[in-house]
Amino acid sequence: MADNLWVLREQKKISVATLASRAGLPIGLIMEYESGQRSIDPRHLNRIARALYIEEADIKLQSDPRPGAAPLERQPSRDAPRDMARPYGDRPPMPRPSAGDVRPRERPMRPRFEPRPPLPARPSQIAHLEGLLKRLDQTVADLEAQTGKPVSSLDRLALSALLKDLQAKVKDAPTPVRHRPYLPESVDEFEARYLAAAQAANDHLRFTLFDGLTVEGLIIGYGPYSITARQADGSEVTLNKLALVSYTKVSGGDGPEQLQ
Amino acid sequence: MSLGDYLRLLRAKRGGLTPWDIEAATTLPKGLYRQMEQRYRAIGDDASIEILAEYYAVPFEDLRWRLDWSRKTLSRALHAAATNQTPITLGLWNGQEANGKVVWWDLGAVGLDTGNGPLLIVQRHAAERWDPRAPEDSAADADDPDDEDQD
Repeated sequence: MADNLWVLREQKKISVATLASRAGLPIGLIMEYESGQRSIDPRHLNRIARALYIEEADIKLQSDPRPGAAPLERQPSRDAPRDMARPYGDRPPMPRPSAGDVRPRERPMRPRFEPRPPLPARPSQIAHLEGLLKRLDQTVADLEAQTGKPVSSLDRLALSALLKDLQAKVKDAPTPVRHRPYLPESVDEFEARYLAAAQAANDHLRFTLFDGLTVEGLIIGYGPYSITARQADGSEVTLNKLALVSYTKVSGGDGPEQLQ
Repeated sequence: MSLGDYLRLLRAKRGGLTPWDIEAATTLPKGLYRQMEQRYRAIGDDASIEILAEYYAVPFEDLRWRLDWSRKTLSRALHAAATNQTPITLGLWNGQEANGKVVWWDLGAVGLDTGNGPLLIVQRHAAERWDPRAPEDSAADADDPDDEDQD
């Protein structure tokens, strides 16, 4: 047998707010249903029944008012004239769409997407390109010969992709020998190379010292300031370069006469 | 041997002295001695050389002439000889001479092709004089590390 909504709710020991929340309906609407001011909308019946864990048939569509309860006072509607100063002036209220009015709003047509023309390469991209090519020991002309088109014809995106490729090549390229700017030689770059080759080839070198002495031996080590040689008797001697005048390879025997 | 190299040698013979010790012991302006030793171009004048000659107890002229044979002037001469493929004669500290074409040179040594056997490696500090000398406005000026030395 169907019962009043407020009876059923109180049996479940839940508040109007909780029921409204569970059913997803406004509290005011629930209170109107409970007071009998309004019969339950059939579209809401199922939601209320599920919120109360009962069958739809258990709920009376038109509840009897609670005995002794004062009739509900309706809140003034938005459309009602206000006592306070109306901040919106005498603007007429916005028309509410009726329930049956489901026409979609007419929206302004969006402009159709059109691809933008390619942007020209940035000067910084050109400078970066030249720097990368220099590190790869190439020129712009080399690159143009490889790609078959001038760099000036590349747009920003194409040049960006090219720079990405070149950066990967630079990363994989062996580290170049570093030179000081405007200096054709490092501090002892050529001498170090000479000594490295002599050591690798087991060359005998003859060193002439400031005091007129000569030392002959195999290079077994060297640095910026000294050279260590193993002499014929197996002894090792470290020569400070400051004490050296010159040295040369000994090609057997007494070696060539180099100095006058 | 340039004035800088020679001063370094004299200081080494004293053992353990620093440029700052020498500046403190003489009336040289602060930093001048270090620059005289380390700079590639000629640094110093007769007055400062006089002070150092007295300090090291060496003849004034033994230091003074080296001012005209700085490391920088040797760089110029080596650069010109290497570029022009012309032979150069180096007068060495021990009284000998080395003559040949410059195959390579760096800040420590010179590789000379004497035309008579293997390459001869001459330590730059052993070269006291050389011939020919390059003109003052030689291109080797741009190669001098002095240009990067910011004191």
